[in-house]
Amino acid sequence: MIVAGILTPLEDLLRHVLNGLHSIGLPWAWAIVALTIIVRMLLVPLTVRQIHSMQNMQAHAPRMKEIQRKYKGDRQKLNEELMKFYKENNINPAASCLPLLAQIPVFIGLFYTLRNFSKHPPPGDLSWLHFVPNIADKASAHWSGWILIVIYVASQLASTYFMSGTMQQSQRVLMMILPFAFIPFIIHFPTGLVLYWMTTNLWTVGQGLITRRLIPKVAAPSLPTRRSSRTPAKEEAPAPATAAAAAPATNPNPSSQPRRVKRKKKQARR
Amino acid sequence: MRYLGYLGVAAVWAYRLTLAPFLGGQCKYHPSCSQYAIDAFKEFGLFKGTILAGWRLLRCNPWSRGGVDYAHDQTVFS
Repeated sequence: MIVAGILTPLEDLLRHVLNGLHSIGLPWAWAIVALTIIVRMLLVPLTVRQIHSMQNMQAHAPRMKEIQRKYKGDRQKLNEELMKFYKENNINPAASCLPLLAQIPVFIGLFYTLRNFSKHPPPGDLSWLHFVPNIADKASAHWSGWILIVIYVASQLASTYFMSGTMQQSQRVLMMILPFAFIPFIIHFPTGLVLYWMTTNLWTVGQGLITRRLIPKVAAPSLPTRRSSRTPAKEEAPAPATAAAAAPATNPNPSSQPRRVKRKKKQARR
Repeated sequence: MRYLGYLGVAAVWAYRLTLAPFLGGQCKYHPSCSQYAIDAFKEFGLFKGTILAGWRLLRCNPWSRGGVDYAHDQTVFS
């Protein structure tokens, strides 16, 4: 009930934007794509900040751990030292996960808006790119729906690939299985909703491709600090999680570096 | 890893695949809250993992000090 109360005005707002996009001449299917892109574009600053803060935290984790160990008994001193460390290393101490949870309704709202729209569409052209006859039909109703689902799975796999830079092997496997596990649900979605999901994944992929190019530039300056901080992390016999998390921190581009080592070995043999 | 814990890990991944791209988790802790949840589910199973992950989310607020906090080093179940 409470959730519905929060969601209704949001859904109305999103629906107005959708109608607005249609009224300026976009067919309904393209209006869905445009709405998705607008929402994702508005979130770009947030995403960039997220990537930076994740890298920052990972790079400075061993130093932070050391500070925490040093001032374990003295909470006030620990607080001061940590805040000083944050300031020196541009870590934002106000950043936190709990307030972000408040945003969840917005995206559930977007989901519901597009689902309602796709289920009960207004009159007008509901086809897309000449091969999807009706975006209000279930995805399983026409062969074009299956094409969209294939694109969805491919884009989902690609987008998680970019999110998984520091994942362990077992998690990589899980992440490759999950999009397929979603298929039985998604074929019952209206095609318009699949279209939305596909668009948002493709956006994530594009964003990943761009940020991946930018990442080495950002990570490079902090490399020496990371190397020097490796020794204390090892000394205190870290937990398995510590070791796993510390390893990628020393290696900003895990996929490319081992390969390079292998090539070097081969050359040496020759 | 306990079998039920897989359910929790799958739930975190479902979150990462659906909502995380929108929310853009910005955590003041290392590892991030979702990674902490995965570690907690793996080490402590579904029930304790849920409590640990929930407690971590509550601690990840603008008034806490953040820092390095591994699920392995938790003090709730000691």
